Amino acid sequence: MLRAADVGTVLLKGGPARLPDDVAPRFKAGDRVVARTLNPTGHTRLPRYARGRRGVVDRDYGVFVFADASAMGQGKKPQHLYSVRFAARELWGPAASARDVVFIDLWDDHLDPA
Amino acid sequence: MNGIHDMGGMHGLGPIDREENEPVFHHAWERRAFALNMAAGFLGDWNIDMSRYAREQMPPAEYLATSYYEHWLWGLERLLVEKGLLTRTEIEARVAELRRRAPR
Amino acid sequence: MSDHHDHDHSEEGSPLTETELRVRALESLLVEKGLVDPAALDALIDTYETKVGPRNGAHVVAHAWADPAYKARLLEDGSKAIAELGYMGRQGEDMVVLENTPKVHNMVVCTLCSCYPWPVLGLPPVWYKSAPYRSRAVLDPRGVLRELGVEVPEDVEVRVWDSTSEVRYLVLPERPRGTEGWSEAELAGIVTRDSMIGVAKVPAPARGARR
Repeated sequence: MLRAADVGTVLLKGGPARLPDDVAPRFKAGDRVVARTLNPTGHTRLPRYARGRRGVVDRDYGVFVFADASAMGQGKKPQHLYSVRFAARELWGPAASARDVVFIDLWDDHLDPA
Repeated sequence: MNGIHDMGGMHGLGPIDREENEPVFHHAWERRAFALNMAAGFLGDWNIDMSRYAREQMPPAEYLATSYYEHWLWGLERLLVEKGLLTRTEIEARVAELRRRAPR
Repeated sequence: MSDHHDHDHSEEGSPLTETELRVRALESLLVEKGLVDPAALDALIDTYETKVGPRNGAHVVAHAWADPAYKARLLEDGSKAIAELGYMGRQGEDMVVLENTPKVHNMVVCTLCSCYPWPVLGLPPVWYKSAPYRSRAVLDPRGVLRELGVEVPEDVEVRVWDSTSEVRYLVLPERPRGTEGWSEAELAGIVTRDSMIGVAKVPAPARGARR
């Protein structure tokens, strides 16, 4: 049970989702990727608006708990998490801004090479 | 899941209603709901991803018609029952008892 | 669970709403079973009502404006640099700081729920967690910005960051003109929460507004 005296320490410590960097990444910055088309009834952090859309890996954040698996009691399934850049027009069509972009954090299991 | 929570790109959900200098909590019950979620989560029977998934399963019409901390309350009840910390029966019994005893 | 949520606010002396009853029911049961300590609940509430809030982020921003070496560290490794000032922990374990420039405007959202960098901004405002912002920020950021009072020129790139993981984003807003020579405390005083979410700019101070 969480005690009042421990609240400060517990909050400062937090609950890091980052894991040791001992899993190989499937992608690197600059890679063209496509977000998978999946429709799980369970938890996923891949939003519908990005599924099947093409983007570019902007950054590899390292290895993290895979939220989709963790939520379903399937363990941490450590894998690389990336910041993926999607052009507004790729997501929303030609009427969208030609210049603007959306960055979405996606894991290895959300992506395929494009 | 393809739930109502997955809102990116939806139309028709209205203007952005920004309250100037809004308080952190708007009602006393919100404070308690927030703190209960955190403290119960600390027991380790579920993780943060499970807590998000719990809220996602709220019926869509209810989700859209209720406030943020009502979502948290709904999700917390679901988790507490799912993980066996409380039973649905004892929650409802306590609610009924408090309703009987509440000021009129 | 009861389908009959009473959303009306209860007032002093009026009957408890269904929601209030349910919260009290849960708290009383969890306390009775020794699962939750009421004093811990009070400490959690007190932390986020009074101790952790946007003043933390304003301190980070002001320090970055005043100290180019700190700004470089902040952009290189957000978590580490923010921790230098003592801010860290829950919902901010992995921080990335996004710099707004004359050519790039960053804006942060969590379309799926309400993910937000608590250690530097406290708990999110209602509008951030609500359906209108969550749905439209990724779809029509310029429209959202316009609605919130920010006009972004066509030649500026708008970058919307959807917080779908445990990485948390903090916008480093542009330092406004007219603040040359200001102390860090004075600078921190003009940094707004909304500017650190990316839905506002920090306005140039009126003459004599320095505090």
